[in-house]
Amino acid sequence: MVAGTATSGGEQARAVAAPVAEPRQRAGRLLLLVASLLFAGVVLAQILDRADVLGLGLTTWRPTLYAYVIWGIALCRAQVLIRGERGQQALFVLPAVLFTVAMAVFPTLFGFTIAFSDWNLSAFAGRRFNGLDNVRAMFRDPFYWNAMGNMVLYTAAVLVEYAIAFALALLLNAEIRARKFFRVAFLLPLMLSPVAVSWMIGKSLMEYRWGPAATFARWLGWENPAFFATPGIAKLSIMAIDAWTFIPFLMVMLLAGLQAIPRDLLEAARVDGANAWQTFWRIVFPLMLPVSLTAIVLRIIFKLKLADIVINVTAGGPGGATDTVTSFIFREYRDRSNVGYGTMLAMFYLVLIIVFMTLLLNLVARFMRRVT
Amino acid sequence: MTPERYAAMVRLTTSRRKLLRGASGLGAAAALGLGGGLGAAVRGAFAQSDLRTEILKIPGVGVGSPTDADWQQVGEMTLGPTREIVQQGEFQGVELTFMGLNNQNLHNFLFRGFLRPWEAYTGARITWIDLAQADYNPRLQQAIATGTVDFDILEMGAPFEGDVCGKGLASEMPDWVKQVIDMDDYVGYLKAPVGTWDGKTFRISIDGDCHNFNYRTDVFSDPGLAAAWKAEGGAGEWGVPKTWQQVQAVSKFLKGKKLGGQDLYGYLDAPKGWGGFGFYFLGSRATAYAKHPDDPAFLFDPDTMKPRINNPAWVRAIQDVIDLLPSQPADQLNADPGTTAFQQFLAGTGSMLAWWGDVGSNARTSDSSVVGEVVGFDILPGSDDVYNSRTGQWETLASGPNHAPNMAYIGWGIYVMARVDADEKKRKAAWSAAAHLGGKDISLWMAAYPSGFQPYRNSHFNIAEWTAAGYDEAFITSYLNSQANSYNHPNAAIEPRIPGIFQYYSVAEDELAKIFAGQYSAQEGADRIAAAWEKLTDQIGRESQLALYRASLGL
Repeated sequence: MVAGTATSGGEQARAVAAPVAEPRQRAGRLLLLVASLLFAGVVLAQILDRADVLGLGLTTWRPTLYAYVIWGIALCRAQVLIRGERGQQALFVLPAVLFTVAMAVFPTLFGFTIAFSDWNLSAFAGRRFNGLDNVRAMFRDPFYWNAMGNMVLYTAAVLVEYAIAFALALLLNAEIRARKFFRVAFLLPLMLSPVAVSWMIGKSLMEYRWGPAATFARWLGWENPAFFATPGIAKLSIMAIDAWTFIPFLMVMLLAGLQAIPRDLLEAARVDGANAWQTFWRIVFPLMLPVSLTAIVLRIIFKLKLADIVINVTAGGPGGATDTVTSFIFREYRDRSNVGYGTMLAMFYLVLIIVFMTLLLNLVARFMRRVT
Repeated sequence: MTPERYAAMVRLTTSRRKLLRGASGLGAAAALGLGGGLGAAVRGAFAQSDLRTEILKIPGVGVGSPTDADWQQVGEMTLGPTREIVQQGEFQGVELTFMGLNNQNLHNFLFRGFLRPWEAYTGARITWIDLAQADYNPRLQQAIATGTVDFDILEMGAPFEGDVCGKGLASEMPDWVKQVIDMDDYVGYLKAPVGTWDGKTFRISIDGDCHNFNYRTDVFSDPGLAAAWKAEGGAGEWGVPKTWQQVQAVSKFLKGKKLGGQDLYGYLDAPKGWGGFGFYFLGSRATAYAKHPDDPAFLFDPDTMKPRINNPAWVRAIQDVIDLLPSQPADQLNADPGTTAFQQFLAGTGSMLAWWGDVGSNARTSDSSVVGEVVGFDILPGSDDVYNSRTGQWETLASGPNHAPNMAYIGWGIYVMARVDADEKKRKAAWSAAAHLGGKDISLWMAAYPSGFQPYRNSHFNIAEWTAAGYDEAFITSYLNSQANSYNHPNAAIEPRIPGIFQYYSVAEDELAKIFAGQYSAQEGADRIAAAWEKLTDQIGRESQLALYRASLGL
């Protein structure tokens, strides 16, 4: 009934829209044509100038930017002139589309053009198109694939983080003393910058000579508590630091989910004789699945971007054991000014993440349909 | 002194005693905000030698780290040459942008303080671009490559001259600046061709870089250790190692020993990458093996640009690190050069370290140093034999062990960018600011206190000035000799000023990390570095790299 009303209202709105006079439509088309020609002309002139065909002496691409802005304004105005009220409706969306094209779509496409270039900032020759050379180099690059392998392990660790976060959320959802204090206290790591965490935990608390964690480990009997000197332990240490920072994120989401479970369900289970274990596995955990999967997916997205802690604490070492894809790309781009290849690595990683997340979300959706 | 000035100084809580102490107190008050007005009094108060003596008393050796007030005071007291060239307020309205490093209490921290009195006197204003050490290279490279140089004055190391001066981005130094900063006072290796390009001068040196050898005098004079050395069959007398072979033997001997209840360690390596700078530390181990006195090159072949990193000399240096890592602290694999100097050696861990002069200048002036009384200095150890790349043979020199001090980074300099050339007033202002930082007297203070810079002028090696400032004569003589003997060494290994040099170092750091973690042998890893360097040379341009490399070697 409601939907029907909305539909008829929409038809009514279209029905009452005044027809646009032909001269206005012509003016709109003319405006759009002139602006488009201007935009195309400026872009062409810039390209020819850059190719040394024209000698305009343009040092930046600002003229193209200004032409785009003018074209965007003309396009919006032309919509109103040509389509009248429907054009006005389009204006609610069109500026946002133009902005997104300028700030996200165009840079991404431009990034792809850089990715297929040989562009070392120190090279006198500047940027040169090099076809698939960067792709071939990427598939042969042991550092990149080592980092990719590490990412698989780091991502798998999300499940452990989830289990710990769930336990903490259950604890904070229970009627315990100073519950509000603990909720805030557990959130503190999430409020800290990962760079600060790197120094506080990785370079201070876990410092080999005087760090409290190292001192405690010695007291426990570990003779040489070097947290970042052997590949396995270094990897676990990085995982632990990262987990300490982000478990609160998972915990908050799960706590919100727990608080949304109707009390009468839990009371009914108790009345029916279910013990705490049964209540958790038969009632709480299934009801928490949607929240859990959302939390895990978001955490994986965060995890795939892991870099700052690694860069600050181990610089990817020892021997690449803690390297992440992002920290390797950071080195390739920052330390080696290898812009073309670094961009290819980043673009390929972006595509991998998009494919992986799409598959994951599909699997999650199928799983949810099956269990609900 | 006018009553207003006196009242102002009282308001600033400057004590009467300080006022009566003379120009030093006046300088302090001026630095605290009285601007150029008191500067004239300061200028009149000092003869040249008095000025050098007085600035070395700020804050005084052994009384803790200098503060911003100290830097401003030094900046005010050394403003004399500026006053002779620039009228008060002459640069009113000029805005300059300065790009440099933001290392804690070093570099830009000092420059800000030094230039505040200059700004007050000249009327110019400086905007600062502060960069972390690791961010410096990419920021500079991006500005160069994208044509977006947004700074007028640049703190830069000589290795980047190929990128900046070679691309016409720097302003040529006016003749009056050469007079103001007394360029003839530079140590020999910092004179042309360093700082020049196509015969033009671009650089004001503010630093002279070399790695020297820092060691613990208490360790190498301890009778107990000497007896143990003999008992365990150590070769020769117990003492400071003079060759890398001895460094290896001594470091292995010290593993497990104690002194004063503390665990002893020998040489400290820095296996963890440091944005390319970590490669210098392998270089310091390798130059004695790889830099033959008859061959100016040690990093690349000067005829083909083929890397020498995988020749037997460099591989031996890599193998030395591998061999010694088990004798170093358990977490050494995660130690970068910053860790080895400031968290280990100065904090009392380890007894030998190759580093820049910062270790010496911090040993007695930094609050966090515990080794000020027990540290000694020398040039880098030599080697009993040296590899001759031309013959492919190891040679034992008749003159004894081969020494080749590593002139790592060649030192920081101040450069003015060409974009100021269109505006004569701005150009003069930029060069005036740069000349103030590179002045002869202010440089003495920077060499003596934590600054990120080490001695680089012949006048810095006057021991009497340092002892008058409070330095122990034996300590400072040892420190300065280690620097001077490195700079003046006939077989010094001088870094090539070729574009992208840090890219070579950075690639090497990644491969070295794998070697030190045990994933490849020294030779296999070195071959991988060589392959990566070849690829890099081709990418940047082999012919231009070769030409620049040869030019940097004076060929």
